[in-house]
Amino acid sequence: MTDVQDKVVTTDKMSVAATLFRFQSVFGLIAVFVAAIIFSPRKNGAILFVSADNLANVVRAVSEIGIIAVGMTFVILIGGIDLSVGAVLGLAAVGSAVLMVENDWGFLPSVVLVLAIGLVFGALQGVATAMIGIQSFIVTLAGLQIARGLARIWSGGQGVAIAYGDGPKEAPTSFALLGERTFGGLVPIPVIIFAVVAIAAVVFLRVSAFSRHLYAVGGNEKAARLSGVPVVRVKIAVFAICGLLASLAGIVHAVQLNQGSPNDGIGYELDAIAAVVIGGTSLAGGRGSVAGTVAGALLLGVLNNILALNNIDSNIQLLIKGLVIVAAAALQRLRPTS
Amino acid sequence: MADLVRMAAIGKRYGGVQACHEVDFVLGAGEVHALLGENGAGKSTLMKILSGDITEYAGSIAINGTPVRFSGPTDAQAAGIAMIHQELDLVPGLSVADNIFLGRELRTTVRTVDRRRMEREARELLDRSGVGLDPRRPVGELRVGEQQLVTIAKAISLDARVLIMDEPTSALTSSEVERLFDVIRELRNSGVGIVYISHRMEEIAKVADRATVLRNGKIVTSFDPRKLSTAEVVEAMVGRPVQTMFTTPDSDTGDELLRVENLKLKARRPRPGRRDPDGISLTVRSGEIVGLAGLLGAGRTELLETLYGVAPGGIRTGRILLQGRPIRPRGPRQVLAQGIGFVPEDRRASGLVLFHSILANTVVSSLPSYGRLGVIARRMERTASVRMADRLRLKFGRLQDEVGTLSGGNQQKVVFGRMLLTEPKLLLLDEPTRGVDVGAKAEIYRLLGELAAQGLGVLLASSELPELVGVCDRVVVLRDGRDVASFSTADSGEGDLLAAAMGHGEMFDEVGGV
Repeated sequence: MTDVQDKVVTTDKMSVAATLFRFQSVFGLIAVFVAAIIFSPRKNGAILFVSADNLANVVRAVSEIGIIAVGMTFVILIGGIDLSVGAVLGLAAVGSAVLMVENDWGFLPSVVLVLAIGLVFGALQGVATAMIGIQSFIVTLAGLQIARGLARIWSGGQGVAIAYGDGPKEAPTSFALLGERTFGGLVPIPVIIFAVVAIAAVVFLRVSAFSRHLYAVGGNEKAARLSGVPVVRVKIAVFAICGLLASLAGIVHAVQLNQGSPNDGIGYELDAIAAVVIGGTSLAGGRGSVAGTVAGALLLGVLNNILALNNIDSNIQLLIKGLVIVAAAALQRLRPTS
Repeated sequence: MADLVRMAAIGKRYGGVQACHEVDFVLGAGEVHALLGENGAGKSTLMKILSGDITEYAGSIAINGTPVRFSGPTDAQAAGIAMIHQELDLVPGLSVADNIFLGRELRTTVRTVDRRRMEREARELLDRSGVGLDPRRPVGELRVGEQQLVTIAKAISLDARVLIMDEPTSALTSSEVERLFDVIRELRNSGVGIVYISHRMEEIAKVADRATVLRNGKIVTSFDPRKLSTAEVVEAMVGRPVQTMFTTPDSDTGDELLRVENLKLKARRPRPGRRDPDGISLTVRSGEIVGLAGLLGAGRTELLETLYGVAPGGIRTGRILLQGRPIRPRGPRQVLAQGIGFVPEDRRASGLVLFHSILANTVVSSLPSYGRLGVIARRMERTASVRMADRLRLKFGRLQDEVGTLSGGNQQKVVFGRMLLTEPKLLLLDEPTRGVDVGAKAEIYRLLGELAAQGLGVLLASSELPELVGVCDRVVVLRDGRDVASFSTADSGEGDLLAAAMGHGEMFDEVGGV
């Protein structure tokens, strides 16, 4: 009798711990959120951090890194890494601006071509790593240089400003709406795009046969291959998805800044990787989730915002962000391994 | 015999599972003490406590009468206790000599690594273990069996007083096992105490002075292994009488399923230690279990890999026919689609994603059949997984549990189940019962019998002769990448197989030992 009770208690305790660890990034996000409320500056007694405008800013600022980080999650789940996403974002931003402003292309063809460029660029990186067998770190390091170079060549080396209107050298106004319009007067469109991407990715990873293959490849590539998983195809598809999402983020970037510059997105790959890591996805592959990544990206966004609201020196901000990443990774080491 | 090790009232709990309960274990100097029990019986836990891997436990340990409590493996090693793990802890990129002296490299007078002396001493150690390995070869190039011998040489080099061997022979050929036994006897005569964990009864009878059986974390019996029959020991281990280990082969076989004609593979980049097929012909009929015998390096694994399309690239000649139609194996996906399944040798490295669920691991090969347009119908895959688990008598908690939490035998059943869910016509099995306990072994044999009765063809590579003779209808013997003999198991025994596997030159020295 005591034995049985004993057992029940232990399993309960274990599952509580397991849940805590499983949704670590969500609890981390809640903790940072609460801390932000506490440390928020106040104006006439109102907490600035939770004002609707400020929260909209937080999510707007997160949306680009968030979109990239979703793609990065896929790549990291198969045990790879993609360092080219920031440069692909820059290439896509330049592409959008040049096509619409200098070449007078319409909204839809421009967007479709830019997305296709990202997709193909990613797929080629996938081919290099899956078929030639070069490590993805090296492939995408090279990809980063190449995409940056292409962006510089395409833009003539400098930023291309986007002016709107119907005349020549003006981008269609529908493009501006993408950046400026809000949903319900509050939620910016880039946030909606991020939300759609994130939800689509979560659903995709839950229900698709492809996702099982993806997790298997990341978990044990050799076993996956022997089980008949099309390893090469999975890898190429994953890098293609990541490239596609990076160029989507590039379009969002261009509309938010009204320009496309070849220097856009420098270092974004590192922020995206940080969001994935904080989200609990294992760099070794085979373990992790997009939901975690979204929480990780939001956590970083809230942190950035509250530090900025308090006028914390930007160098100190970097320091604090670094410590948060280490703390998140350290917590994952404590995770009970079955 | 003085008590070298005395473990008293050892207890260890993992959550709700009592892995060890009030276990008393004594090892004398110069004694070989066999430890038996099914997977999960508590053998490994007990030995991990002795070797300092587990530091939290109930009870006490005394070495030569002095109570000790180790704070970690290094501590235990300093006290003269060395353990040879079942999972080989070697660094693949380093040479054999470097591995043997890892962490205690020999130095010259100017403190640089004395490579020459390390290689010389490594060579001596290997010679002593009867292995003619070049100490300069990278360990990653060696086959599993050879790696096992390296770990044994490494443990011997530690000059331990207590040596724990966890299934040291699982990948060795019969002649290598004999040499290992010579080494064990030599160590015993010099006063070393040896704990010998194994699932192979005939080895224990040959080498052990005493045997202790564990079941569910408790000691069931302790006996002189030369005086008890295999059946009695197995009964003590599983706790119920066992009629027969092997299902009698059903000789009712059907049409020809697989025909291999003069298969040769000339690898583009030959790898040392690999023996690619060099003229192999054989057939498997539906409903027939055909064994592949041969010494280590005879090319059994390489043949199965070639048939499954995972051998290294090269020029393949000869013909492979499946149900009369020629096939060209290009990779697992294509071969599986033709109806050929494969259970690899090393289930941890190439079979499973250990930290994924039982469910995910069972269905991964047959995913498209559970739903449409790439969307998985969760209920369908669950049903399939549960049905397979029932059929294999898988012992598990929930389908969501990680496969790594299952015992070795049950892990192997998951790999089997995955292949069966693809509804194959032919199964290629590479050492399907390695590291699997007696109970699970019997169940795998029963399953093979059932599958054959349903018309499946099986090609089974094994280095356990009793298994080949007991399970197969026919055994094909390979040597140096060629098929050299074929026996019906109805009228030939282990001796015939071994003699053919070794060739006539060696036959008379070695057969006597088996």
